[in-house]
Amino acid sequence: MPRRSPGSTQDFEDVHTRVATRVRGLRPRPERPHLLEVVDGPGKGTRFRLEAALYEMGRGANVSLQLDSDEVSRLHARLTRADGEYTVEDAHSRNGVLLNGLRVHAAVLRDGDELQLGDVVLKYLEGT
Amino acid sequence: MSSEDLFVRFWGVRGSIPTPGPRTRRYGGNTSCVEVRAGKTLLVFDAGTGLRELGVHLGRSTDSPVTVHLFLSHPHWDHIQGFPFFGPAYESSTTIYVYGPRGDDKHYQLLSGQMSNAYFPVRFSELGARILARSFKGTSVDAGDATVHLFEQKHPGGSLGFRVEYAGKSVVFSTDNELDQLLLDKQAAFESPDELRKLPKELLKPVQDADLLIADAQYADDEYAQRVGWGHPRANTVVDLAAQAGVRRLALTHHDPMHSDREIDVVVSEAELRARRLGFEDLEIFGAREGVTLKI
Ligand SMILES: [Zn+2]
Ligand SMILES: [Zn+2]
Repeated sequence: MPRRSPGSTQDFEDVHTRVATRVRGLRPRPERPHLLEVVDGPGKGTRFRLEAALYEMGRGANVSLQLDSDEVSRLHARLTRADGEYTVEDAHSRNGVLLNGLRVHAAVLRDGDELQLGDVVLKYLEGT
Repeated sequence: MSSEDLFVRFWGVRGSIPTPGPRTRRYGGNTSCVEVRAGKTLLVFDAGTGLRELGVHLGRSTDSPVTVHLFLSHPHWDHIQGFPFFGPAYESSTTIYVYGPRGDDKHYQLLSGQMSNAYFPVRFSELGARILARSFKGTSVDAGDATVHLFEQKHPGGSLGFRVEYAGKSVVFSTDNELDQLLLDKQAAFESPDELRKLPKELLKPVQDADLLIADAQYADDEYAQRVGWGHPRANTVVDLAAQAGVRRLALTHHDPMHSDREIDVVVSEAELRARRLGFEDLEIFGAREGVTLKI
């Protein structure tokens, strides 16, 4: 808001900065993690809390997000986090990665997305 | 990643103007920009606001010099506005080829013109990258390892469509194209909208048998009557084009800024239903969405 000061010049207060620091929602608060829930196929009901920057998804013994199905490749896909968002990427799997029914090579995930790896269907639920 | 691979990534799928906010979060609010990777060659179609994020991504993912083959459908704002914010354009190690029709560097001039004087603080001439205008020889050009063919489209002021060929695969980028103005029987599409809308042969040719067609599909049928001549087609007409030309996958894009994610879902599912009803079972249809990469 322009304010007349004595003399002929105008001063502009930085209203945005001042007000923004008082907005409640901007206070840091604990984040709720994103989730992947198996909603169909083997392991139905299993929930994975996503906290790490990288997950390897597959049926292999040494992956960090294990899916117990023969239709899933040993290393099927990778999940990586950037700017608080997870991206799924097909790791040369045999049966591919479907995002809401569409075969994709990779995708940034959004709340409510359904991922299908082999016969395992996972729902992505965004935290806050 | 084999050198024969062809990838397509959507960086901006919105038409007309960016639409940030929760209503459009899933499909995304950035304007027109598509990345095509043909082996090691990087092609970019349109420089809408999605281009900024591609620039951020390139900055994080590679240390080696970037070469971009940039194709612009036309110079409306939603197709050029990301360019001044494209990080690699400020790097001296970057090379950007801006393609245009033979004997016409209009695209290059308009891209640079938006960075003049009052519009933007940095001059085009102050950008660090080597930015060069390149012309098509006739209707095709070799861009790195890929071949790109151009075709003219129906849009106020004109627009260009592009077909990329690489390793036996093909992707067509066709946005801002009012196909409905070119139908063999325009009236029939209003009177019996469920019938197949026939298009002239010369329109089928550039998209014939494409592995992927990325096409402007801005309007639902019931919206179009109020928007005739605005330069965009009915989504259902694009379905008919793809079906008649034997396209394998169809990505609907240039989403209307008024359309929320749910409304785009409706346009897409109506399009799918139409294809099935008309007997085109093999045509796969989906809504282009930011952050999605397809392997062709
Ligand atoms: Zn446009
Ligand atoms: Zn336009």
